[in-house]
Amino acid sequence: MRPELERLRLIEQQLLNGPATLPAKDWQLRLLLDGELAADTAAQQQLYQGLRLAGRRQLRRELAGIHARLYGPPASPWARLWQQLKPW
Amino acid sequence: MVLSPDFSSAPNLRAALLANREQALTQLYRQAFPPVRRHICGHGGSAEDAQDIFHDALVILYEQAVGGTLTLTSSASTYLVGISRNLWRHELRRRARLPHEALPDDPGPLAADAASETEETRFAVLDYVEQLGAKCKSMLLAFYYFQQPLTQIAADHDYRSVRSATVQKFKCLERLRESVRAAFRTETIEY
Repeated sequence: MRPELERLRLIEQQLLNGPATLPAKDWQLRLLLDGELAADTAAQQQLYQGLRLAGRRQLRRELAGIHARLYGPPASPWARLWQQLKPW
Repeated sequence: MVLSPDFSSAPNLRAALLANREQALTQLYRQAFPPVRRHICGHGGSAEDAQDIFHDALVILYEQAVGGTLTLTSSASTYLVGISRNLWRHELRRRARLPHEALPDDPGPLAADAASETEETRFAVLDYVEQLGAKCKSMLLAFYYFQQPLTQIAADHDYRSVRSATVQKFKCLERLRESVRAAFRTETIEY
């Protein structure tokens, strides 16, 4: 892999506790020697948090699809309003 | 007769969700949604509330199951009904305090762990994930959120080897990072 991708992998191993996670002491040393590593790590952490939100959104879409298949599509806003206002 | 899959142990549930998410979620939906709907509609909620709460509960269950933090002492559907009842009780309390505010998009217990994070950046990333190509988006979500193994991701996305899929995953992650960086650079220059 290109060095840029290897760097992403190195940071990922630290953040996600992958099999190649460096011992804490080694990681601290890298942070001292590489002035941009801390900022890159924080940025990558933000990516994972954003991906988590995107994943939840995707899962909710899939659940809405399952609901529609099992119980029919959701009622339109007008139909819901009618349900609330109808006198019987 | 089709037998229901055994979701009484966390490892079985995890394996089922990873092998065929749609099938496993549909099975859970069939089993657990009717009692949840009955409970919520019988305790001051609407059918729409029942659906929203049930989806929150399924998101929690999914994340716990694939993350390996789930311990089941009963079946997964019983557990889901329990989570849904709790979420509904919290929601009723919240509505009593703040009667004019709508149900939040993200359930409280899930949002709590992120209280100190930079909300703006996380939501910016969310937008850029949506703008990635379909294949990149699918790969990143499969790996980082749905936690599918790389062997499965490689097969699903037509890569000949796990190594090719791994390289592509990092290229997609790099593309996402560059989009977010470029956006934040532009914002900084504008201000």
